Amino acid sequence: MIADKKLSSKGGGWLLERPEQIFTPEDFDDTTRMIQETVRQFVEKEYRPVAEALEHGELEHNIPLLRKAGELGLLGVEVGEEYGGLDLPKTVSTVIAEALAGTGGFSVTYGVQTSIGLLPLVYWGTKEQKDKYLAKLVSGELIAAYCLTEPQSGSDAMGAKTRAELSADGKYYILNGTKMWISNAGFAHLFTVFAKTPEGLTAFLIERDTPGLRLGGEEKKMGIKASSTRQVFLEDVKVPVENVLGELGKGHKIAFNVLNVGRYKLGAGAIGGAKGALALSAKYAQERVAFGKPIAQFGLIQQKLAEMATRIFAGESAVYRTMGMIDQALSSLDKANAAEAVLAGIEEYAVEASIIKVLGSEVLDYVVDEGVQIHGGYGYSAEYEIERAYRDSRINRIFEGTNEINRLLIPGMLLRRAMKGELPLFDAAMKLQKELLEPSFEEPEDKEMAQLEGLKKLALAVLGLAALKYGKQIEEEQEVLAVAADILIDVFAAESALLRARRLGGGVYAEMAALYLYQALDRAQAAALSILPRLAEGDDMRLMASAARRLTKHDPTDLVALRRRIAQKVLEAGGYPQPKA
Amino acid sequence: MKFVAVIRQVPDGESRLKIEGGKVDLGGVTMILDQMDEWAVEEVIRLQEKHGGESVVVALGPERFEEAIRTALAMGIDRAIHLVAEGYLDPITQAEALAKVIRAEAPTLVFTGGQQADWDSQALGPALAEALAWPVVSWTTQIELEGETHAKAKHDLDEGAEVVRVALPAVFTSQQGLNEPRYPTLPGIMKAKRKELKKVPVSASSKVEILEQTIQEKSRLNKMIDGKDPVAAAHELVRLLHEEAKVI
Ligand SMILES: Cc1cc2nc3c(=O)[nH]c(=O)nc-3n(C[C@H](O)[C@H](O)[C@H](O)COP(=O)(O)OP(=O)(O)OC[C@H]3O[C@@H](n4cnc5c(N)ncnc54)[C@H](O)[C@@H]3O)c2cc1C
Ligand SMILES: Cc1cc2nc3c(=O)[nH]c(=O)nc-3n(C[C@H](O)[C@H](O)[C@H](O)COP(=O)(O)OP(=O)(O)OC[C@H]3O[C@@H](n4cnc5c(N)ncnc54)[C@H](O)[C@@H]3O)c2cc1C
Repeated sequence: MIADKKLSSKGGGWLLERPEQIFTPEDFDDTTRMIQETVRQFVEKEYRPVAEALEHGELEHNIPLLRKAGELGLLGVEVGEEYGGLDLPKTVSTVIAEALAGTGGFSVTYGVQTSIGLLPLVYWGTKEQKDKYLAKLVSGELIAAYCLTEPQSGSDAMGAKTRAELSADGKYYILNGTKMWISNAGFAHLFTVFAKTPEGLTAFLIERDTPGLRLGGEEKKMGIKASSTRQVFLEDVKVPVENVLGELGKGHKIAFNVLNVGRYKLGAGAIGGAKGALALSAKYAQERVAFGKPIAQFGLIQQKLAEMATRIFAGESAVYRTMGMIDQALSSLDKANAAEAVLAGIEEYAVEASIIKVLGSEVLDYVVDEGVQIHGGYGYSAEYEIERAYRDSRINRIFEGTNEINRLLIPGMLLRRAMKGELPLFDAAMKLQKELLEPSFEEPEDKEMAQLEGLKKLALAVLGLAALKYGKQIEEEQEVLAVAADILIDVFAAESALLRARRLGGGVYAEMAALYLYQALDRAQAAALSILPRLAEGDDMRLMASAARRLTKHDPTDLVALRRRIAQKVLEAGGYPQPKA
Repeated sequence: MKFVAVIRQVPDGESRLKIEGGKVDLGGVTMILDQMDEWAVEEVIRLQEKHGGESVVVALGPERFEEAIRTALAMGIDRAIHLVAEGYLDPITQAEALAKVIRAEAPTLVFTGGQQADWDSQALGPALAEALAWPVVSWTTQIELEGETHAKAKHDLDEGAEVVRVALPAVFTSQQGLNEPRYPTLPGIMKAKRKELKKVPVSASSKVEILEQTIQEKSRLNKMIDGKDPVAAAHELVRLLHEEAKVI
């Protein structure tokens, strides 16, 4: 054990302990499963008939689709009953995000409405503001947009130039500026706009027909074409002071907290999309004949199918493990001051949310890329669904915080917590240094668990060394932080896959977990060795390098056989071999 | 008025069935509310919406049927009775067990699927009517109540349709075209959790015993026609479909 203390309730706690139990999709209750089925029906019965038209620019179909989603209760999952919502666990919102993944741009329309669109109002709205807008957003009568990004500031959201000045009579704010890449803009009624006031960044609720608010044309996007994305121009827009959302100067809190929620849903949506792409690919591989047999029988195709399934399994396990942690934390909350407490609970797992965002979006990009490859020339044609999946995937690495920003956040947030004494990261790192100097050569009883611990130690060692060497300047060492992030992402995913596979009783799941872990160890070793010479010199460096090798040691395995067996299960299942509860 | 839907849970037609030791293995199969029963449920809900009263589902089958029952409750049915019996029961035995409960409920009418997707049987509806000594209208595509005593219904025949007036209580079985069933809303799903689901153990022995099951396997011929000359290829295709496949 790395640490003696049990920390399972803390975000990032898994880094210092050996967790025994995780939440998995096999733990979904009947309600969650039924909701999943309702979303599946929604996709088949409501979305499918207008999918083509939406893809070809008839964006107005988004509006009745959102209304129907409202009728079904799908817009109020995270809203209280007093406003027509259902106030369900966060897992449910994630399951919905996953089940909607195949709807491409519409899933963005939906996601914006239910996350960044109405959650700011749920958590920061006054009673008057909620009474005015919330129930209508839940029914789909009103559509919401969220305006943070500007032409000159995306990742650097605090660099926003849009200004809000109080009118002479103190009754209005006058807003001027330009917002960029605003999803749902084309048909939104309510815009949450962030602007600078003397106090700092402040959020405003602005109705569509307020004079001075003007929309740009639809952006010509690579993918998610069914979603509306436009610029929003604000010229002397008069916003009543009652429409300030939250406190003056506290807009950054709204902006960042809401992004946390978006991130885990994005991760789940990405996993859903990847399952769809794998199903298309497995089916195609069985039908396409080349050199006298279905291409599914070729080793190089099987290798792809096995890798795709394995990464999906790891990603899915990581997503729902996180949801389990969040829902457990939220279930013990006192409902009285719910908004604050819910936000604190979600914030606690911000590290995991970033991990899932990066992991999910990169699993999806890998899967759609190989999916196109399996389709050969046909994968390059718009006649085949995989082509759209490929284009729709790409945005996920860019919005909700680019993957670079999220990679920096993962070790950044852990270090900040360690400094505040919330996570005994430095104790563990000190202990680890001693341990690295006096290695034990005992054979561990549980090899895979020991390997996971090795990975955790390596991540700690990299973080500890870097913090020691650079102190506050560590922020300038992005490449080092990204190596730590990559190891952390891999270990969280590998551990989630392994713990879940053990509960599932082995089989193909154990094989996928083993394959993922094997590659995680190799990746971690290469990544660590690539930056150690920057963190240490001479004997110190050599000592650390040999420690890195030892911590990521594993016996060679016949990966060819392993992948072929996994591929067999993928082909039998016609896609991702979803575990049965 | 009281409207009863009799439902079953069956394997999803899209899942791949496997045979293990001469028996269908349902291990990896998704189980769903039988689609024809779904039409029955929808019709019962519509009747209740129009005429008031109560809607009830009755199901006879193993514990796992509860999922299908919950679906019906989430669609809008008021309450459920689950006759719990593991293992296979032939339709006559099923009908006898169901009839006891349904007679006690004294409904205005009973609706069930025209065909049971799992055993590919069309017997349950008629057998149930027989056990109740009520009239039956099978393959119903339209129904209208005429007060509490009669219903006018349109139902399919082999090569056409017939409109009938039937004295109530009666048993109706569903046919495609009857309605477009709704699917559960989230509030419906939440409400379903609080609805009454009465479990009644059933000990009946089947009059038919299944000894062995096999799955029909059809291997494809994979016959390829050379397409260099499209006209000749089309002629060859027509010839093959006519002379060998004998489908045109
Ligand atoms: C289809 C679409 C829909 C969108 N919807 C919305 C919406 O509804 N509302 C909204 O407010 N915004 C929306 N956005 C904006 C989106 O959130 C931004 O595009 C995103 O935050 C990135 O900002 P940017 O495009 O300005 O890129 P930049 O921030 O300019 O980034 C460019 C590159 O530099 C990297 N980079 C930036 N800063 C750093 C750093 N400090 N260290 C290392 N690398 C860095 C980035 O990772 C990226 O690779 C949307 C964007 C798109 C494309
Ligand atoms: C935009 C575009 C332009 C083109 N232009 C031309 C042109 O001008 N002239 C022309 O003649 N053709 C052209 N092509 C066709 C192109 O060369 C083929 O698409 C390519 O050779 C792949 O063949 P395929 O699409 O049939 O894929 P397939 O051969 O069916 O391959 C599907 C997948 O199976 C894999 N695979 C196939 N066989 C094996 C094997 N034995 N072992 C392992 N894996 C295997 C492939 O690598 C691929 O991943 C064009 C295609 C496109 C998309």
